[in-house]
Amino acid sequence: MANTLPIIYLNNAATTWPKPPEVLEVVRQSLALPVFGSGRTTGSQGEDYITLAREALSGLLNADPPEHVVFTQNATDSLNILIQGFLAANGDGCHVLTTALDHNSVLRPLHELERQGRIRLTVLPFEDSAVRPETVEAAITPETRLMVTAHGSNVLGSVQDVPRIGEVLHDHGVFFIVDGAQTAGHIPVDLGALPADAYVFTGHKGLLGIPGTGGFYLRDLESVAPVRYGGTGTDSFSLYQPREMPERFETGTHNYPGLAALAAGANYVASIGMKAIAEKAERQTAFLVRELKEEPNVTVYNESPSLPIVSFNIDGVENDDVGFILARAYGIVARTGLHCAPLVHRAIDGGRGSVRLSLSWFTTDEECRTAARAVKEIARNANSSVGSS
Amino acid sequence: MRIVRSVRHKSCADGSFMKEFLLSTPIPEGFFAYLGNFGKVEALPNIGEGFYKFEKPDWFSIKGFTGDTTVEVRFKKEVMDLTVDFLYLLFTTYREEGTDLRVLKQREQAVGRRVQEHLYGR
Repeated sequence: MANTLPIIYLNNAATTWPKPPEVLEVVRQSLALPVFGSGRTTGSQGEDYITLAREALSGLLNADPPEHVVFTQNATDSLNILIQGFLAANGDGCHVLTTALDHNSVLRPLHELERQGRIRLTVLPFEDSAVRPETVEAAITPETRLMVTAHGSNVLGSVQDVPRIGEVLHDHGVFFIVDGAQTAGHIPVDLGALPADAYVFTGHKGLLGIPGTGGFYLRDLESVAPVRYGGTGTDSFSLYQPREMPERFETGTHNYPGLAALAAGANYVASIGMKAIAEKAERQTAFLVRELKEEPNVTVYNESPSLPIVSFNIDGVENDDVGFILARAYGIVARTGLHCAPLVHRAIDGGRGSVRLSLSWFTTDEECRTAARAVKEIARNANSSVGSS
Repeated sequence: MRIVRSVRHKSCADGSFMKEFLLSTPIPEGFFAYLGNFGKVEALPNIGEGFYKFEKPDWFSIKGFTGDTTVEVRFKKEVMDLTVDFLYLLFTTYREEGTDLRVLKQREQAVGRRVQEHLYGR
């Protein structure tokens, strides 16, 4: 049934698809020649994709200097390195803040540290899809040293007031890690102006790269200690990890095809322009919200998302069943359930989970219209559900 | 109609274990009504060729569309090894012209006792 339908891919908050042709081509090219990594080969026939990717990310995010952009496997990997590394540099026993909007990539590392007795953790509530800076300030104690939170919610599509939260935190000397998994490549991010001490990104979402790449920008290298050690291709006579960036955190062989793709993806995003991307997403998202709200038995959890994410439920039909129907009867790929953000759902839907439609630059207006029609059709038929036993 | 093979599986957030099965033939119109003899069936008959969901509490649920060649089954993990054979039997025993339910009902009772005992100790 679904096999005969064209795919309408609306699960871009998980991984974007399709990828630009430039991304696919550079992956092929990167594997067609031997890899070229400075310090690891005498060859120079190939491109230095790692440097290209670092420059591309540095330019797109205004993250200066480029060497402070560090590559990892994904955003979760970055968050673990930064959180563990912050404690390694500053010692255990501090008070840490996070929020109920956050993803398990933040919540699980922090809760594990709390369980081990290494930190004291406060999870801040949100109101109207965002955490108020006043709530952050009220939670700060003399022992608070770190806050880790999402820039954008992967469930509600809201963007946190990071500028104001950052100011509050810096007034109290609190280190601020911002998880930009949902914002990099979706909205303009200026790390020259954003008061974040570290900003985490992933390669396979808004930056249009492939899975297996991510990274972070770290302003002050001394604030976080390395937690992984090994070969860097530099300063090899030393038996200790180099202090310099990015070798301080990048160890072992890089994901060359992945970073080639990330560079191409970031350059593609830059060539379109963040303003154009954000405006198109805003228009299409507003359309979906408006359409879904027309159905009295559809609940949209954030009616004015700042990211191309729309979460909803249909009364009388489990979200998992809605996802199944969308996939099989309409060819629409969505995501259902908790979206790895359990505390958001505890607050908005009693832990039931939701259906999430998420868009990318490649989502067409026609696909949005089809999706809206499909959801409305399911909602209207929900009332005609027949049961027997 | 029979289950040919499993094409996808995952552990679900609600603790169940999901398997998607490929069937030897498309699901006939009367299949989910027949399943109603063994549990609760919910339907959105006007979506596609008809969306159906069968629920047998403590055993498994089956969802699918009439005319489709795959179904999604969610097993209660703790008793999956007790109930999986019955699932296969539900498919192989079904006859469009009418199914003899006697053997299935006997098997359902026998498996049900073991499920009850395993889950609740009685």
